[in-house]
Amino acid sequence: MDLTLSQIAGCLSVAEPTLERWIRQGRIPVERIGGECRFNLATLERWARDHNMYFSLSAIEDKPVVATTGRLAEAMARGGVHRGIGGVSVEDVLKNSVTRLTLLPAPVRDELYERLVSREQLSSTGIGRGVAIPHPRSPLNQSEDLPFIATCYLDAPLDFKAVDHRPVFVLFILVGDSIDSHLRLLSRLAFCLRDDAFVSFLRDQPGMNLLLARIEGFERQLAENG
Amino acid sequence: MADWPLFRSDDRLLLILLALVVGICSGLAALALNRSLTALLTWLAPYRGELWAFVLPGIGAVLASLFLNQMVNDGAGHGVPEVVHAVSRQGGKMRFRSSFSRLVSSCLTIGSGGSAGPEAPVVVSGSAIGSNIAQLFALNDRQQITLVGCGAAGAIAAIFNAPISGLVFAVEVILGEWSSLNIIPIAIAAVAGTEISRTLQGNQIVFEHRIFDIQLPDYFASAGLAICAAIASVLLTRLLYATHHLAGKTVSPKWLRAGVGGCLVGLIGLWLPVVLGEGYHAIDEMIAGEFTAGLVIVGAAVLAKILATALTLGSGGSGGIFAPSLVIGSLVGLVYHRILVMFWPSVDWVEEGCFALLGMAGLISGMLQAPLTGIFLIVEITGGYDVILPLIIVSTISTTICHSLEPASFYMKELVERGQLLRPGTDARVLSDMQVREMIETDCAVVPPQMHLRDFIEVVKSSRRNFFPVVDPLDQRFLGLVRLDDIRPYLFDPLLYDAVVVGQIMDSQVQVAGPEDDLNEVLQHMDVGRLFSMPVVSGERFLGMISKATLLDRYRRELMVQTHWR
Repeated sequence: MDLTLSQIAGCLSVAEPTLERWIRQGRIPVERIGGECRFNLATLERWARDHNMYFSLSAIEDKPVVATTGRLAEAMARGGVHRGIGGVSVEDVLKNSVTRLTLLPAPVRDELYERLVSREQLSSTGIGRGVAIPHPRSPLNQSEDLPFIATCYLDAPLDFKAVDHRPVFVLFILVGDSIDSHLRLLSRLAFCLRDDAFVSFLRDQPGMNLLLARIEGFERQLAENG
Repeated sequence: MADWPLFRSDDRLLLILLALVVGICSGLAALALNRSLTALLTWLAPYRGELWAFVLPGIGAVLASLFLNQMVNDGAGHGVPEVVHAVSRQGGKMRFRSSFSRLVSSCLTIGSGGSAGPEAPVVVSGSAIGSNIAQLFALNDRQQITLVGCGAAGAIAAIFNAPISGLVFAVEVILGEWSSLNIIPIAIAAVAGTEISRTLQGNQIVFEHRIFDIQLPDYFASAGLAICAAIASVLLTRLLYATHHLAGKTVSPKWLRAGVGGCLVGLIGLWLPVVLGEGYHAIDEMIAGEFTAGLVIVGAAVLAKILATALTLGSGGSGGIFAPSLVIGSLVGLVYHRILVMFWPSVDWVEEGCFALLGMAGLISGMLQAPLTGIFLIVEITGGYDVILPLIIVSTISTTICHSLEPASFYMKELVERGQLLRPGTDARVLSDMQVREMIETDCAVVPPQMHLRDFIEVVKSSRRNFFPVVDPLDQRFLGLVRLDDIRPYLFDPLLYDAVVVGQIMDSQVQVAGPEDDLNEVLQHMDVGRLFSMPVVSGERFLGMISKATLLDRYRRELMVQTHWR
């Protein structure tokens, strides 16, 4: 079985830099072939036992695989792109947007609308530069089709009581299935919206394919930066 | 060469073979310096009587300083602290040029008459050879450090024809650690170095062997000698540092500084030639009891030699303190013996040569604060095991007194002051090896400042931790920390749930640690601020948390790995 450095570090429950240092300092038995390090599991287990250390392969097997990339794009694909949302007030616009969310059953849509409005009453979700991210305060009682982000372009820019008082032209209705996914999506979306070019790109009301291509680009960037 | 399968097959075998090579190489380096020193001394001998000869040590020191600072760009000084530093902090990594630079410069310094010894330069060369051979074979730090010790052992063994001293010096002074892993290669290197010296120079003991008839009063007297030797050691140590600081402040170019120091030594040498050079010839006379100068002259010579050594090395000349310590030690022994005879003429004292010998052990042990090195060196270079009992008395007492007056030996003083003497298996060593970035915990829930308290409570519910770093979702900037303890009053007040956002309740004046910070300092900050954990921030980006709980866990693992070698 070939193990990576980080897996072996996991077995010994130390950090990867620690393991690298131990190899450099010659504190751990390792066979070095050229630039490659090869561990013998039996030797390693004996070494750990000799040093009173706990060595367990289960540490790496039990580790859940967390797919952190592509989640924003997935959520946006699920939510869909909706054009031509009309309305003269925040409530109107939200109502009209939520009606378009056909992936949700009608009663859930009503519930979502109530929650979005009550969240808006609390404080505006307009984060500035013409963008608003309406979201319910707590996750919906709905397990399928979540999380999603619905992209809704407004017919006419609308005063959303945003932080910078600029009229809003696009809504990203964000519904997470847990606090964690909610926050992660929010932070990723915010990362994209920090880009001026992306915001002006949104003004042209791009379709799903164009939008997803841009978002995937951002997510690759995020993955590279860690 | 790093992939040679035959030698790679067993690491211990490889290390033993390399130790042999290192021992031979450092033995050759020692012989090279010894031979060229003898040649230079013989060549300059006819001019010694001239009045102008006092400039000779000056010229030698100028050339040595120019060579070290301008040509090879390797710092002056005696060099052993640099080796210990490399072992403590750099995994034994030394530069290639160190393997020859000090040989040349110390040959110029000592050959021209400067008061210094050839041993430290040879130790540096040997260690650098060991380090570079280890780098050639891409060995790990532990093996590299062992080979550095091998180089030092081979050098001392070759220059004194004393294998045990080489082994003991390497372990006691250079590495500070006995373990089965490093003793065997070092012993092999010491034997190899000795054999090289015996093959090429003949098996000669440095100082002629004599048999002394030691009686009970001599044992008691040796305790007094230890006190005198300790005083001389401390005087030499302090004067060395004093001249070093004084020279650094007064004369500006380094070569001129060395030159002035050398000329002053030359002036002293006009009056007392015994202070010049390494002075082994004088020691031989003293042990043989043929050193005829009177008590006052010998007493003056002790002070003059101490001053000359301090001037030579403090001003930037190149060389070690081994040989001067031996000369000073034997002079101290002589003075002490003559005073004893003056006050108690009726007692049947042993010959003065024996006290010269004991004085040497006292000085070496006191200067190096390494009693074993002192004992074994004197036994081996004088070929006399029969003086071992008084040797042990003098060495241990001298070391103890010196240690109480100067907590760190001459070699280690500067390193200790800079906090860079990290002996294996100590707390400082373990802490310096571990880095902040190895301790970072990333499993904490990060919250944005705009989050409402109601949402935040959900985060708290699903988290196991008491600390919540606040990070700007837009640019990942670290803004502050929410401590559960601080917000407990608000947590149960539903009126505040929608009125308060995280940004209002966070502590934005948190002390943070950087990923490259010294762990010792981070721990001190934690202790001073009574913190249990600290955020780690690089630039303004939040990386994770460092906490005492993880630290204890990692510290324990590190300690087990570092102290429990198999």
